[in-house]
Amino acid sequence: MSFAIELEQLRKQYKGSWSPALDGLSLQVKKYSITGLLGPNGAGKTTCINIICGLVHADEGTARVLGNDCSKEKDEIRKRIGVVPQQIALFGNLTAWENYQYIGSLYNLSKKTITERATYLLERLGLIKHADKRVIRYSGGMRRRANIIASLLHDPELLVLDEPTAGVDVQSRALIHEFLIEYHSRGKTILYTSHHLDEAEELCEEVVIMDEGKFILSGSPNELITRTADARKLEDVFLHYTGHSVRD
Amino acid sequence: MRKIAATITKEWILLKRDLGGIALLFLMPVMMIVVMALIQDAPFKDYQALKFDLLLVNNDKGKLADEIIEGFNKSKNFNVIQQIDGHTLNDASLKQHLKNGKYNVGIIIPEGATAEVVNAANLIANELSEKLGMGGTLPAREARGTAYVRVLFDPVAKPTFRSSISFAIDKYVTYSCSNLLVQRLSKMAATEESTASESAQTFAQVFQGIGVKEEMLEKERDRKLINSTQHNVPSWAIFGMFFIVIPIAGHMIREREDGSATRIALIPYTWTMVSLGQILFYTLICAVQFWCMIAIGIWFLPLLGLSKLYLGLNALHLVPVSLAIAFSATAYGYFIGSIFKTINQALPLGAVSVVILSALGGLWVPIELLPEVMKKVAKFSPLNWGLDAVNAVTLRNGTLLDILPHLMVLLLFGVLLWAISILYSRSRKMSIQ
Repeated sequence: MSFAIELEQLRKQYKGSWSPALDGLSLQVKKYSITGLLGPNGAGKTTCINIICGLVHADEGTARVLGNDCSKEKDEIRKRIGVVPQQIALFGNLTAWENYQYIGSLYNLSKKTITERATYLLERLGLIKHADKRVIRYSGGMRRRANIIASLLHDPELLVLDEPTAGVDVQSRALIHEFLIEYHSRGKTILYTSHHLDEAEELCEEVVIMDEGKFILSGSPNELITRTADARKLEDVFLHYTGHSVRD
Repeated sequence: MRKIAATITKEWILLKRDLGGIALLFLMPVMMIVVMALIQDAPFKDYQALKFDLLLVNNDKGKLADEIIEGFNKSKNFNVIQQIDGHTLNDASLKQHLKNGKYNVGIIIPEGATAEVVNAANLIANELSEKLGMGGTLPAREARGTAYVRVLFDPVAKPTFRSSISFAIDKYVTYSCSNLLVQRLSKMAATEESTASESAQTFAQVFQGIGVKEEMLEKERDRKLINSTQHNVPSWAIFGMFFIVIPIAGHMIREREDGSATRIALIPYTWTMVSLGQILFYTLICAVQFWCMIAIGIWFLPLLGLSKLYLGLNALHLVPVSLAIAFSATAYGYFIGSIFKTINQALPLGAVSVVILSALGGLWVPIELLPEVMKKVAKFSPLNWGLDAVNAVTLRNGTLLDILPHLMVLLLFGVLLWAISILYSRSRKMSIQ
């Protein structure tokens, strides 16, 4: 079985921090899967994503994405992955269309390709009527959808999403889920972090639970529920392994 | 190239939509140029082309006072006032009018001033005639010491104004005294063959000896260049160019804060191209800004009664000068945007630093007036090199070779700051949030 992401014994401690963000984390994400990366606040999910896309270097351990070393072949990885940050990483004073023209040009895509892909994605995510509006004037849900489109213009093999549905309404969330399932069906791999465990249960084929920078367990949602005593849903599994104490 | 072009297009759209930024880049320097050129128009005329009301109290009522008053009346600089509201001025009322601030300067000619000058002239004439064996003596007594023509100023008058006016008044008084002296001596030297007026002319020529005559390096043109337009337009244009620090630093920090900079960082082989595109775009904007200010100096300021900006005989040399200044200003903005973390840090400190660099660079006060240490410090300000380069072209008709050192320093400054910014930005931890 081939893996899209392979992390081995990753350790990362930020300057001025008392405890490591990642403490010997090892995990694998299967190619062509939708995998949920779950964990309470401060579990190390975002650090993990930052290492995967080459923005942060691990102090120890190895990270490989689509067969490339994250610390040495960053540009090769960046050509093939799309990252949807939790933050709306778009130019607010540009329209969605202008954002995509610019971002597409930076990926060296032809004008025709940018136009075709942006039009398709805008239509698919219900933003085509608002394409000429400045992003700053979008609602929260519209911004989230626009943010996803910007990460898909170069048609990446692996899509990494960090809380893509945080703060969106039910309709937008449903539309995003529907779209991600469709995107996955085109032979793409998706790594997805969320605090909405019901969402992960519904969407993901595999989930990985991590806490305090360490791997806790992984498997399909059904498998994890079955394996955990008195668990009826993924949330029960999550609380069973990560505890009830509130995290900072 | 495509990435650079795309970045230039994106920056252009963003700038077009940032009305505050455009106002800061184009309206602020225009306002500065117009206001400062109008305010400094009078001082730049060196008090020579202005006419001042001069309060005068004539306690002498003799020939010397008549000579002094005639001299002032003939001059283009003074409008002599001896009466206000039908009342002849005296020492006390003159002082009161100056204190009130309506008038700036007054003089009091002391009683017996003519007698003192005549006596001095007679003493000199008698001594000369005795040594030369000429006959006849003029009535004279022993000199009583110097009698002063007192000059009084409005208490708020600035030192430069006081010294300029004192100098002008001293010139007229000295001239009147000499005139009287020459008249006395010529009276003695008058013979049957030569009349007194002929002798007076000869004495005057002898007294003149050697004179002072100001000549211009490039005929009358240079005289026209000593005006507030010529100083203020380049100064405030350069000042405005460096204010590009505000939009550049603002955009850079905003892009880091809203995550769009992280998105750019996630696109392969892009960061340097984006940086180059931004530098090119803002350099062009800065250069356009410079030429807009030049246009204001040429076409708008004359409409306000100010002098027209003169660009010298090699005006095209201003193109590389404007680009070099624009590049260093842009790199400075890029540097500020890179090293500061928040907009609240970058914008005030960026603006204040430009004000300091402009003051050090001689944009506010001509560098010639600064102490030696400050003249050396000024060389560290790119604004000083920029202003000097513009002046070299417009005032000294400098060749490309003359401005080459300026261009090199400005480009070096820009490259250095840009390099530091790139290194600093790359070392900055970027992350998805």
